[in-house]
Amino acid sequence: MALIERPRTGDLTPAVATPEATYGAFRRPVESTGWKSWLFTIDHKKIGIMYGVTAMFFFLVGGLEALLIRAQLAGPNGTILSADKYNQMFTMHATTMVFLFVMPMAAAFGNYFVPLQIGARDVAFPRINAFSFWCFLAGAIFINTSWLLGGAADGGWFMYAPNSSVPFSPTNGIDFWGLGLQITGIASLTGAINLIVTVINMRAPGMTFMKMPIFTWMIFVVQFLLVFAIPVITVALFLLMFQRSFDATFFSVEAGADPLLWQHLFWIFGHPEVYILVLPSFGIVSEVLPVFSKKPLFGYPLVVFSGAAIGFVGWGVWAHHMFASGLGPISVAVFSVATMAIAIPTGVKIVNWVMTMWGGKLRYTVAMLFAIGLIVQFTIGGLSGVTHAVAPSDTQQTDTYYIVAHFHYVLFGGAILGIFAGLYYWWPKMFGRMLSEKIGMWNFWLMIIGLNMAFGPMHIIGLQGQPRRMYVWTEARAGEGFFNLGFWNLISSIGAFVLGFGVLLFFYNAWRTHFGKHKAPPAPLDPWDARSLEWLTTSPPKEVNFDRTPVVSHLDEFFHRKYEDRGEGDRHDFVQVATAEELLAIEEANADADIHLPSPSFWPILLAFSLPIMAYGVIYNIIMIAVGAGIALLAMYGWALEPATAPASDYDPPEDGGTDLELATNG
Amino acid sequence: MTESSPLRSRLRTAALVGVGAVVLASCAQDAPQDTWDPAGSEAQRIHDLQWPIFMIAGIVGLIVMAVVAICVVKFKDRGQPIPEQSHGKAWLEYMFIALPAVLLAGIAVPTVATIIELNDTDDADCVINVTGQQWWWEYDYPIAGDGSICGYMPTGETGTIVTSGQMVIPTDAKVVIRGTSRDVIHSFWVPRLNGKRDMVPGGVHTWNFNANEPGIYAGQCAEFCGLSHANMRMEIVALDAADFQSWIDNQLEPYQPPEEGTLAAEGEAEFVAQCARCHQVDGLTDADGNLVVAHPEDQVYSGAAPNLTNLMTRNTFAGATWDLLVEDCRDEVWDAPADEFGPLYLEGVTDECLNETQLKQWLRNAPAMKPMYTDAELLEPTDGLVRGMPYLALSEDQIDKLVAYLLERK
Amino acid sequence: MFTTGTKLLIGSAALAWIGAAVYGVAQEGALGTIGLVSAAVALSLLAGINTFVRDSNVSATDTESFETSAAAQATARNSLWPLLSALGITMMALGMATLPAIFILGIVVTAAGLLEWLVQGWSERASAERAYNDEAREVLADPLELPVAGAIVFAVIVYSFSRVMLGMSTKEATVVVFSVLAAVVLAIGTMIALKRNISTPVITGVFSIGIVAVIAGGAIAGLNGEREVHEHETTADLAEENECGPEETHADDKASQTVAAKSNPAATLIFDGAALEIDQAGDDGNSETLTLPRSNPSNIMFLNESDGEARLVLELHPPVDESGVPISIERICTTLVEEGGRQFMTAEFDRPSFALEDEGVAYEFVVAGTDASVEVVVP
Repeated sequence: MALIERPRTGDLTPAVATPEATYGAFRRPVESTGWKSWLFTIDHKKIGIMYGVTAMFFFLVGGLEALLIRAQLAGPNGTILSADKYNQMFTMHATTMVFLFVMPMAAAFGNYFVPLQIGARDVAFPRINAFSFWCFLAGAIFINTSWLLGGAADGGWFMYAPNSSVPFSPTNGIDFWGLGLQITGIASLTGAINLIVTVINMRAPGMTFMKMPIFTWMIFVVQFLLVFAIPVITVALFLLMFQRSFDATFFSVEAGADPLLWQHLFWIFGHPEVYILVLPSFGIVSEVLPVFSKKPLFGYPLVVFSGAAIGFVGWGVWAHHMFASGLGPISVAVFSVATMAIAIPTGVKIVNWVMTMWGGKLRYTVAMLFAIGLIVQFTIGGLSGVTHAVAPSDTQQTDTYYIVAHFHYVLFGGAILGIFAGLYYWWPKMFGRMLSEKIGMWNFWLMIIGLNMAFGPMHIIGLQGQPRRMYVWTEARAGEGFFNLGFWNLISSIGAFVLGFGVLLFFYNAWRTHFGKHKAPPAPLDPWDARSLEWLTTSPPKEVNFDRTPVVSHLDEFFHRKYEDRGEGDRHDFVQVATAEELLAIEEANADADIHLPSPSFWPILLAFSLPIMAYGVIYNIIMIAVGAGIALLAMYGWALEPATAPASDYDPPEDGGTDLELATNG
Repeated sequence: MTESSPLRSRLRTAALVGVGAVVLASCAQDAPQDTWDPAGSEAQRIHDLQWPIFMIAGIVGLIVMAVVAICVVKFKDRGQPIPEQSHGKAWLEYMFIALPAVLLAGIAVPTVATIIELNDTDDADCVINVTGQQWWWEYDYPIAGDGSICGYMPTGETGTIVTSGQMVIPTDAKVVIRGTSRDVIHSFWVPRLNGKRDMVPGGVHTWNFNANEPGIYAGQCAEFCGLSHANMRMEIVALDAADFQSWIDNQLEPYQPPEEGTLAAEGEAEFVAQCARCHQVDGLTDADGNLVVAHPEDQVYSGAAPNLTNLMTRNTFAGATWDLLVEDCRDEVWDAPADEFGPLYLEGVTDECLNETQLKQWLRNAPAMKPMYTDAELLEPTDGLVRGMPYLALSEDQIDKLVAYLLERK
Repeated sequence: MFTTGTKLLIGSAALAWIGAAVYGVAQEGALGTIGLVSAAVALSLLAGINTFVRDSNVSATDTESFETSAAAQATARNSLWPLLSALGITMMALGMATLPAIFILGIVVTAAGLLEWLVQGWSERASAERAYNDEAREVLADPLELPVAGAIVFAVIVYSFSRVMLGMSTKEATVVVFSVLAAVVLAIGTMIALKRNISTPVITGVFSIGIVAVIAGGAIAGLNGEREVHEHETTADLAEENECGPEETHADDKASQTVAAKSNPAATLIFDGAALEIDQAGDDGNSETLTLPRSNPSNIMFLNESDGEARLVLELHPPVDESGVPISIERICTTLVEEGGRQFMTAEFDRPSFALEDEGVAYEFVVAGTDASVEVVVP
């Protein structure tokens, strides 16, 4: 973008006349309230919230799909779903949870808090940021319309070839899946580049990389993973699209293809994807634990580097998803050992979290409980992971419920508990009111009980030989006695519903905090005695984020502004010298003048929604591709023509002053 | 805010579920696909490796949980002063890296050794070709240079044996399977004998089996293979030397047409008219005395249908998903002690043991029983070829005749 | 928001549309309708452009603006576009006489030149402020110009590069040329990285020379023509022509080494000069027949360990129709495999072996021109 749209210098308003809009016939949308302020916003905070709301909606959708699956499997020969619907259900449950819930949820927190944590006013490319969100939404809606148009994808989220070819899956479900993921892939890719540039270029003065908050660090690592992983799945999905829509033979055995090509492509993306899902939550937990332990993160550099190490080694272990595929003993041995190696940096993180708590001053808020819950639950998932890093053992466990148990402990116990810790921790910052801690406790305990009840028995079910992805199980293979599949499947299903109820409590809690007669009072400015920069502003933050650009001298800058070390030599004695209110007052008193934020734009949303039109065209009618491409071209042109900041004349009433202080934002 | 007791109980739950599952599952011997109940040397190798690793993982998990519990109880905010704002000690951190590294290196060595052992196909006593197809397995037995099959010399003339559903092997022999697939990727898995091996179209993957004792070992296709993935099972039947010899001889017996005038004889004509398009019965001749050759590739997308020459010597049908034996007879075979199992199995399906209800149900409308792609509307991408057995609109009369005919196929 | 000129043009356009519709319905005359529709389209387009540029004008009542307006003082600036358009028209003329490709290129160049001309013409009258005008032009044209120019430059470089590569007559020359090239690129890159204050013109110069060199190399190599490439016959070609005999063909003798990437073949057939040996997993060499599943493609690897070239042939014995003509391909074969070489063959069997027995034949792998053979059993 920068090439085409170089930052403007000087005052370019024409000397003659004052056209109503500089280059176009339309006025820019400049509203800061009302629905237009959301549709056309480029404010990273609003975009973050929209990401969050959409992701939570799809969490409910994915949860509903999960409950249907568990209802089907509660007893033998379940009849709630047909085989066909069941296959669609587990495919879409995974797709929804991975691509439409956890990934965008990380984008939500990343978008909202990375600029705040690094003391920036927005991300580097605010319009691209908006585009990313709308792309994600467009892709998500597109994938889910397949339910109404002949059935959703039924090949599993891993979509192994050749089962994904037209003869084996004649509906359009897989086409929707592939094209929809391409669109959400564009969202992830643009979002990742955006955050990388933001973190590298827009940190507050004095914030070196090793003074950067750990959450920002983890988001930063994840964005690199995205930048390298998304192109791989993009290539794979293109091959799939050509295979299905244009009679290509990338995976056709009769034409000499090797179906394992898909598995390699998918897992080279798919394994880093696991870390894409879980590292943001590691970041959240690494923020929450120190705050509620009143201690800095134990081994901060080590946590940073182990995060980066996971990001690197994560690329060298993809074939451990293929131990049973017949790769040959040498490959299997190499990947088996590499997989064990990745347990080390992961273990380092767990140890550092525990050591952060050790010797601290622990307050058991709901956010803290979720963080501790993550340590315990993720450890279980990590250790069961070690048991199938051992390839021979994995040949017994892979594709059974043992694996289902493993990755649900990792993803629910890791990623999702982290997300909930973040929601409880940052809710007052984002919305200015605190979620009820009392309901939060119920929320937490029900989720923990549900989680262990739903996924714990799956260890047993799996070791007792029940494979995954079966729409029914039968008494004949269930066995008797304590470990019979019937009992534990039932327990697991009950657990799933308990878990579902626990999750619903969160939504109730959120509703109750803002509406109804138990509405919460405005939150205090610094309810948790927090440590990082996002708390150095109002709750919710002002549109400009900070009154003046903060200058950073410490890791945990906010803490060090509040507390002063009165100790001598090796003795430390921290004394509170200022409250958050006092610090904010100082900032407000010395506010920067003439902060001019980039202006809203309707091109990102238009461009994003031209993509599903093209995608429908691929499936139904080639002419629609042209229509979509036309809209896309128009939107791109409009976008390129539009200056980053609207001229004052676009505001109603026109703002006084000109473009005095522009941000270094071009996108 | 929170008392420590709920947390403790939570830890107890976690310990029960996590470690309990791991520790106790090893003692259980109940589910037929129990992965912790090895019955052959390959599975035993895996078990010997995984058992200590589960223990180590369990112990490490308990330690972590214990330390968390101690933290939670001991360092609760009781108004103590702000702790030291330290980022930790370097030596402690290095130790925490070195410890798991050493532990994992210790695990890695036996792991690699076992991987190599499991993939060794030398010195096979018996070779069987396994071909997966939506949604059943086909087994054929190659004939060695000296005419022997699976290491056993047939008493009569040698020939090809093709079966499905149940793979019969001799006990205490190293059986190497050479597997592939006719359509999508399937995975061959009989947990009590060995782990999984995917059968990928276009390639041949090998995997070893060795059963210590005669018996039936249950398995299930473990790689998602489409609509009826859940209904694609397999069983390995291990027979001791003498029984295996009689099994081979029986399989190779020439075709016996039904006696003239019986219901079965009418069934033969029905079979030729209705079933022989896809299903091969070796030696079957039509009314003119010509050999009947099935051409499943003209009807079935994946190209094959189960060979029914000796259907009633096996006791399952339709991808080993349903039993040909009624429940009592089935249990009798499955629960038979090792020394009585062979003869019992070799009896095959008798008149009184035949599971007529489900077999007839299957013949009446197969796709209603097992989801398959036989719907004409969806067959356009396969040029009208079905995936699975279609609805044949047979009358009850025809079904009775066919069952009578099939009952003699052993 | 509508200026006078816009109103006029919109009105005219509307009139033309109505006229076209009325004429079209009333007269059913094709020519008149086409004329009126064309006029309507043109007027609509003009109206659109005019709306966008607001008459390229300012209010006539605004005297101050009138004096400083573009019309009052702007002088046309240097322009490349007339030249480019003229070049395009010349190419069109030349193309008509010689090659259609030149004609098409001429159209593209003319269109591009005229479009740029239009944009420049408009932008120079956008306001009285030159800086603003330049900006306006850039904003309008850059989003098209930059990607198109970039794509053209990129395509030319890639094409030139490919000509150079295809022009290399020996493997050694290729290695030398590209090693040197890579070293030069690395050296220049290192230099630029180390000397950070290097001036832009120098960098531009270096890159320009590099690009010119690549294009020049491409042009020379292109004129020299491509190196000779052996025609690569495929197994299917040979089988189609029934050329599975032992004789020499033009098949690329390296083909057998380059296609052997597939893992997990059903079996390897080793030819030692006298007999074919079967090598299969789990088989200790005691097999005389090969058992392969029916209706399924099986990959067979042929390994030639004899002293000369050899070719593996699979006799399929397809059924014959009423007139005795085989209904499908009779045999498939590999290309001639050199000593120590290997090659794959993919075979599928539609009938079981016992169906062939009646005809007194069997599926058989043979080495063309020798007695070496292996029977295939298809159960």
